[in-house]
Amino acid sequence: MSAPYTGPAPASAPTPAGTPGAAPRRPRARTLTVLAGCLVLLAAGLVAGVRALGQEPTVTLLANWTGTDERNLRATVLDPFARTHHVHVDYQGSSAESQVLGADVEAGTPPDVVVLTGPGELADYARQGQLKPLDGLLPQAGFGASWTTPLDGHVYWFPLKADLKSIVWYPGGTSARQRAAAARQPGQWCLGMGSGATSGWPGTDWIEDILLQRYGPDTYQRWARGELPWRSAEVKGAWTAWGRLVGAGGDPALVRRALKTPYQDAAEPVTRTPRGCTLEHQASFIRNQDSWKRADGRYEPSARLIPGAKADDAWEVSGDLVALLHDTSPARALIRYLASAAAQRAWSARESGFSVSPDAQPAPAARGADWHRSLAATLLDDRAVHCFDASDAMPPSVRDAFAEATIEYLAHPDHLDTLLTNLDSLRLAHGLTWLQSVCDHADAPGGRETP
Amino acid sequence: MTPASVPVTSRHDTGRPGVRVSGTAHDLAVRHRLLLVLSGLLTLCLFLSYEGVHGDADPLRTASAPAVLSLDTALYALDEAQRDAGAAAPTSDFQKQISVAAQSLAAAAGDDVGGPAGRQALQTVAGLITVYAVKVQQAQLQPAGSVLREAYLSYATSVLTDDGSGIRARLTALRSQLRATVRRQSAFGPLLWCGWTLTLLLALVLAAALLETQLFLRRRFRRRFNRGLLAAGGLLVAWVATALLFTAWTHRGMAHTRALLDRPLSGPLITDAGRHTASYLAHTGFRASAAVWILIGGVLLMALAETGLRRHIDDYRFRPR
Repeated sequence: MSAPYTGPAPASAPTPAGTPGAAPRRPRARTLTVLAGCLVLLAAGLVAGVRALGQEPTVTLLANWTGTDERNLRATVLDPFARTHHVHVDYQGSSAESQVLGADVEAGTPPDVVVLTGPGELADYARQGQLKPLDGLLPQAGFGASWTTPLDGHVYWFPLKADLKSIVWYPGGTSARQRAAAARQPGQWCLGMGSGATSGWPGTDWIEDILLQRYGPDTYQRWARGELPWRSAEVKGAWTAWGRLVGAGGDPALVRRALKTPYQDAAEPVTRTPRGCTLEHQASFIRNQDSWKRADGRYEPSARLIPGAKADDAWEVSGDLVALLHDTSPARALIRYLASAAAQRAWSARESGFSVSPDAQPAPAARGADWHRSLAATLLDDRAVHCFDASDAMPPSVRDAFAEATIEYLAHPDHLDTLLTNLDSLRLAHGLTWLQSVCDHADAPGGRETP
Repeated sequence: MTPASVPVTSRHDTGRPGVRVSGTAHDLAVRHRLLLVLSGLLTLCLFLSYEGVHGDADPLRTASAPAVLSLDTALYALDEAQRDAGAAAPTSDFQKQISVAAQSLAAAAGDDVGGPAGRQALQTVAGLITVYAVKVQQAQLQPAGSVLREAYLSYATSVLTDDGSGIRARLTALRSQLRATVRRQSAFGPLLWCGWTLTLLLALVLAAALLETQLFLRRRFRRRFNRGLLAAGGLLVAWVATALLFTAWTHRGMAHTRALLDRPLSGPLITDAGRHTASYLAHTGFRASAAVWILIGGVLLMALAETGLRRHIDDYRFRPR
């Protein structure tokens, strides 16, 4: 090292440092550089750390539950999942789920997981390669072939919740004779066709059930597979039977009420004095609505009230089907969780619905009211024939046109031939995916595409 | 005062036999370390405090504020469309308002506010707007006064106005989330107050330390001023003052923006708000990008302090005889 600068010579000269360990120090510039580098790194690290804080794995979920259903879903299913798996779920619920999903898929930004009611729509997406197989993600016990129809050897969806549709609700204390009398009066049927983007589906449920109860599962399945024409005597007969039951084209006030009432409010007149209506043909989930809770709603098989019903132990059912569109780790975790007995049980209990997972059945002592027990037993009865909601199993374009047609038919039953002709034209369109099996004990699983 | 006259008031034992450090060397070493540590701490505090304000300015200017205005525009256009929905026949005004709403949503989605969840929510609303438009068109194709016309209009209205799940409720919820984001981005919260208070205290302490060191050097050595320390003092004042000024301007712009966007906006007010927001937040991007100069300034400050004291410390360096 050089000698110090001569000017400011200190009074006390630098002390000798000849002892070991007093070696000359290294240049301070290096220390300064290291210090400055550390400072920059520390600052950058702090900023990046603060920004990264709070970010956690996320999975997007699209379903049709809104309002109370959405709150229930969050409280009983999604929040426990987020807590146990540390995965945030971005949930979107909409009655226009099909339109939203279609737009998302077209834009290349589909949700990770979707819950749809229509296996027909799901089969369409599976054919397009949009769905990911669920092989290895579902419990060993499974859900039964009719609920998880395999396509090309893979399972693409499973039911989160199932409902029975071939039933008619009535207020507790209404006798069988009164119910039979009410069934003959269009004004006594509680009917609400409104459902936002999917308005008209309560009418499709009616017609499907009439066809099933009158002509049996084979005819029903041929129709749902796109093989039985809409203008056939059977299908046309189901439409006209429904029209007579609910008074299509009749009393304008009645038709107006049916068309404009949202389906979830259809039973509201039941609670009035005197009653505005007595019977409602609606799926098991409607028992969760306030009106039926207040009226102590009971049910009976629709076959007893549908004129000309001959089918033996045939039931129309529906399900909320879960499918995977993005094969990410959080999405797979959500799929495993939704298929688990705990999630199925929690969701079904809160929604007055039913799980068809053998593992998720409640203990005999915890099954609740009689009506709930008997509905659950019917859903799981191996001897009964369960047929999936035909419109949900049809290609989306046919399903939507069917729902629209029921609205128009209710106001203008004289348009029926035109409506059925249009539906037949759609049925014969190219490129549609038809599910081949919609009823239990069917021997033609999978789907086929029209050439 | 000449170096020769500098008194040596004490000697410090180094702990090693035969090695002793002069009092001046020790004082210099203490001041050297103090200045470097204070400069480092100040740089860190100033950088974090500056980032705390300016880091949110750019997202506010380019994403949150435009997105709030886009949602206001969409809501206004849909209200106008609903007014036209009852017309006897399909009108171009209805189509125009639907287009405005759809484009506004696309603009909001382009701002990528709210991450994947926000984008998903906007896509859901976009799907519902399509459904709404289709239902209105179906209604308008039915004869006036017919039950089907009433029914389709009621479906359209429910898609637009249903509590919680309708278009309007979803857009309002999204707008509330965005306004909360704007409030958070433009807030000067307790953490920032603490950061800036600490920064200013450190700046004052560093300025005092620089002044004291200057006076110490004047007492002990021949030179009247130490140019390195003088430059460090000047840099410190300019550095902190500029950061303060930039922060005050940016924060004022953000506060004005928040006040503007917190009010309900509709019609021409939305256009005016867009213009005002742009002027309030002008140059915030430039000022935010100046954050790197805080780090550079800190390094310069330390370099100047080091340079100023280096020659005196070297005078007292222990060397083997």
